[in-house]
Amino acid sequence: MYSGAPSGGIAIGGGGGGGGRGRGGGRTWPSTTSVSTSGKRIQKEMTELSMEAPPDCAAGPKGDNIYHWVATLFGPPGTPYKGGIFFLDITFPSDYPFKPPKVVFKTRIYHCNVDPSGNVSLDILTENWSPALTISKVLLALRSMFTNPETFPLLADKPVVPGIAHLYLGDKAKHDEIAAQWTLRFAR
Amino acid sequence: MVNDGDDKVEGLLSPKFRSVAAMAGWDEEALLMASLVVEDTPDRLPKQKKRSDLLHFKTPPTNSRRKRRAQKRSPASITATVLDLDDQDTAKQESEKKEAESTSIEKLDKKGDEALEEQGCSVVTSSTKNIEPKSIEKADTKVAEASEEQGCSVSSSSSSAAFPSIDRLREELSCAICLEICFEPSTTPCGHSFCKKCLRSAADKCGKKCPKCRQLISNGRSCTVNTVLWNTIQLLFPKEVETRKAAADLSSREAKRQSPVRAVATHSNITSSRTTRVLLLNSPESGPSSQERRNSRAMRRQSARASVMPSRNRGISTRGELPSQDGDAALALRMQREEFMESFRTRSSADEQYRSSLALARANLRAMASRAINIRVRGGRGS
Repeated sequence: MYSGAPSGGIAIGGGGGGGGRGRGGGRTWPSTTSVSTSGKRIQKEMTELSMEAPPDCAAGPKGDNIYHWVATLFGPPGTPYKGGIFFLDITFPSDYPFKPPKVVFKTRIYHCNVDPSGNVSLDILTENWSPALTISKVLLALRSMFTNPETFPLLADKPVVPGIAHLYLGDKAKHDEIAAQWTLRFAR
Repeated sequence: MVNDGDDKVEGLLSPKFRSVAAMAGWDEEALLMASLVVEDTPDRLPKQKKRSDLLHFKTPPTNSRRKRRAQKRSPASITATVLDLDDQDTAKQESEKKEAESTSIEKLDKKGDEALEEQGCSVVTSSTKNIEPKSIEKADTKVAEASEEQGCSVSSSSSSAAFPSIDRLREELSCAICLEICFEPSTTPCGHSFCKKCLRSAADKCGKKCPKCRQLISNGRSCTVNTVLWNTIQLLFPKEVETRKAAADLSSREAKRQSPVRAVATHSNITSSRTTRVLLLNSPESGPSSQERRNSRAMRRQSARASVMPSRNRGISTRGELPSQDGDAALALRMQREEFMESFRTRSSADEQYRSSLALARANLRAMASRAINIRVRGGRGS
């Protein structure tokens, strides 16, 4: 009797575990609905973006999971990135509007605010994030980053690519030439 | 110069105040000063104070001048009251209910006048004769009163997205955090409004800064609802507010339901808790057809009690081996689920898409809650 009770407990616990795996963190439910506030908000942003996207930008969910988006930025004319198409991965945290989304360049880019693995150093994506910001605003900020690189980043502990920043400040023509070359090579 | 000041005074002070001031023998400079200080405080209160203040740095004007001024001013006060009446009339035209935001609606009227004219005419269906909004504007008080019901119908149709600028209003009144219409809006010291809940969690998770302008906000805990804004929102977007309220009710009920379920797991007085739970389940749907729905639900409840069939849902199939207490919880769950299915069906048959998505969200919530109960029941048995 003494041994029976724990074994029963284990059996039920195992059943519960199986159920948990079956649930799969919301994958068994239709992806178009989400209970959480983050899901609701992401959906709202999605519909808003589909209605009116910011210029030269596009963004949307990668697949069924609305927490993973892919975005495209077109290099604005008048910059060395002109004509390039840059793909970005956007990952939303589960407490999204209160924590910033993670934005990573999937296309290689010669830019002093994007490190070799594609991580963007943008203050609004880290400590200056505000829940009132949306993805379209982030995309606009990224777009303006193309035209005006942040050479004096606010984050002292997270340096951007210092070499590129130095070149940009010292010899802009050279910097632009290299950036245009990279754009031609990787972003078309 | 003097006339200019007079005009200003007329605009700022209520006629009552002015007549009282005239009786007290204030000159217009004193009135101007008072208007600068008083603004919107009740008119009788500050009289004493203002006077004593003004006496310090103002030589009292001669008696004869005062009297002349007073006589001059009395007709002005009459015209001001006429103006007030006009305002009331326009408010009546809008509707009695919507007096609070009548000014904003007036603005909208002026913007989308043509559109409203067409749509308003098309929307007005059965009630009475067809009066154009413009004619209502021009009409005298009697006509306005006669067509009050019509005014109601027009404005209500306008609130349901008939006017072009309702989108603009929606945008303006939505919370920047959840991007929906502000629910119980709370306004920061810097003048930005968010849902109370959103603002609170923003303060908790992102520091005590205004999400819009990054100004320091004193304390996210002590945020209060901006009543004027909240009432305006409730009047302008009753549908949205209702759905949000329903969702809030649901979540609070889920939270409430957690405790009786625990009681089921531990204690043996099942029946009473079951009935309360059933009542709780029945309470939310207060729609037009709630009575018949309740009846059908009662029927189903009996049938469910008569025959507890295990193999209906994946969640329930595992519960076949459970003892009677847990079986009871399972029954409650099943009923709940059925209720959801029903509500989902009716909702999806309704035309609006967001309704159905709401029902789906509700379904998810229910499913989650039921799983939580499962885990809880199992946990209770294990320990």
